[in-house]
Amino acid sequence: MSSSTSELRPVRVDETLWEIPREARPGMRVPARVFADDELLQALAGDRSLEQLENVAMLPGIVEAALAMPDIHQGYGFPVGGVAATELPDGVVSPGGVGYDINCGVRLLALPLSDAELGARRTPLVHELSRAVPAGAGKHGRLELAGTELDAVLRDGPGALVARGVGREEDLERTESNGRLPDADPAAVSQRARERGAGQLGTVGSGNHFVELQRVERVFDQAAAQAFGLAEGQLTVLIHSGSRGLGHQVCTDHVRALDAAGGRYGIELPDRQLACAPASSPEGAAYLRAMAAAANFAFANRHALADAVRRAVGSVLGPAAEQQTRQVYDVAHNVAKVERHGGRDVLVHRKGATRAFPAGSDEIPAAYRAVGQPVFIPGSMGTASYVLAGEPGSMERSFGTTCHGAGRALSRTGARKRIGGRELRRQLEAQGIVVRCPTDKGLAEEAPFAYKDVERVVDVVERAGLARRVARLVPLGVVKG
Amino acid sequence: MARSVVERRRRGMTHRFLDHVGEVELELEAPSEAGIFEAALAAFGDLVGGDGGEPARHEVALAGSDRALLLVDWLAELVFLAEVEQFVPERLEALELGADGLRAAVAGRRDEPRPLVKAATLNGLSFERRDGGWRAHVVLDV
Repeated sequence: MSSSTSELRPVRVDETLWEIPREARPGMRVPARVFADDELLQALAGDRSLEQLENVAMLPGIVEAALAMPDIHQGYGFPVGGVAATELPDGVVSPGGVGYDINCGVRLLALPLSDAELGARRTPLVHELSRAVPAGAGKHGRLELAGTELDAVLRDGPGALVARGVGREEDLERTESNGRLPDADPAAVSQRARERGAGQLGTVGSGNHFVELQRVERVFDQAAAQAFGLAEGQLTVLIHSGSRGLGHQVCTDHVRALDAAGGRYGIELPDRQLACAPASSPEGAAYLRAMAAAANFAFANRHALADAVRRAVGSVLGPAAEQQTRQVYDVAHNVAKVERHGGRDVLVHRKGATRAFPAGSDEIPAAYRAVGQPVFIPGSMGTASYVLAGEPGSMERSFGTTCHGAGRALSRTGARKRIGGRELRRQLEAQGIVVRCPTDKGLAEEAPFAYKDVERVVDVVERAGLARRVARLVPLGVVKG
Repeated sequence: MARSVVERRRRGMTHRFLDHVGEVELELEAPSEAGIFEAALAAFGDLVGGDGGEPARHEVALAGSDRALLLVDWLAELVFLAEVEQFVPERLEALELGADGLRAAVAGRRDEPRPLVKAATLNGLSFERRDGGWRAHVVLDV
């Protein structure tokens, strides 16, 4: 593929924001803006993410700017770490702006004991987590739903599982959008998507998905940490997964439908993966109904995984520990949502980016409303993860959004060339991290050096006023997909 | 090197995995349009395959006159078969490529394919004549 990036380099706006002006390339409707420091920006010269961001700036109906978070890297269509808001009703929706893993996201559980109290039971706990959580090639979860039972999950998300005795009612409130996007329509989800999703509820999947046992190493914001129920030394479990094959197929189906429909609406874009149609059009509305159903499936998937984690905790640490394992929150990082920003209704596409609403938002659970929405930023395997809280700057500068992770810096092939899975496993275990991964190849592809420095990424979003540090979590054991 | 790989190369069909920071980018070359589909099958098998399992066979019928989109649909079908049928494709038994679509019989194994590939995307998609043969690019979401 030949590059068509503009010759204009990003211009520094302030210490953490860069801009490619609208005039940089014909077809751009708004500027492209990147939150980054010097080093993160320079690293983008090695991939095509800025070209992809410029392409996003060409979407009909896009407002203000095409945005990229500091963990941006090249994706397909949208860059990963991309954010685009289109004005409703006729701004476009682009399935590529959500991605194939609809509502990929993270959920954090807080355990009622410390690393010191866990002691020698660490390895047995990680082993039990790996037994309880189907990962990698294992396709089937504990829940096999079809027909009207699957419809209920697609329509109502994890609430449908609570009704079946899986998980807890209190978990729903501590989930973004209460785990249920409105207007989800099970009938908009194809039979093929249902077949791919059948049996996958409660499974981690592969790639960069994982379940990680962690310790709260440091608290930066005592008030927020207290509100989130986190204290130094405490154990947490971070779950990273999405809508599995069901969501992948929903995106596949609708990218093709919108690719065919774009011409009818006079839409021409430089990359077919940006296929889109007005959100108000029959094709756009059909995608949004199916996307919402897949998003609800993803919330339910992480809910079922959390239930499995609690059972593993109970098996190793006893029923009291299971009972007292609380859900801190669950956030989506691949989704499109109708929100109000700047006095207008917009459809915010977040592709590898996390909603980060500040204190006072009525979208935040009452218990967290005084401190801001929790956001979880997984680091690379073997490095720290962060708990953040949304800040007012996110509403002013990024449609209520912050980063979603460290962001890849090296291809999977590149990672495998630098280290073998066995050697990486040995290195991680030498750090005291218990590793469970079905393949050495998969492990090597997720090596820590394949990602950007999460400390630098978090530093940028904090200095940009998008979110602030609450706590730093370090890994004790990881179950890889 | 497996005999099937040598045979494909002898017939001018190759696949390469290009460096892509987030996904897998495939470059396929073949002397004919049909050969591009065979090369795509071989690439997919390399990505997901193991070396066990029972012999299996699937027939595929796809409609469409846009060759690039047909290639995406072909890969999407292989993704579906891998995920739902645990099918690891190994070789084409038959391929009829017409103006309006294709029909194929694919032989392979029912195994535990590596669940790596989520989808075939339209990003940077191309399918074109090149140097007397054909070349295609497609990015897979992994």
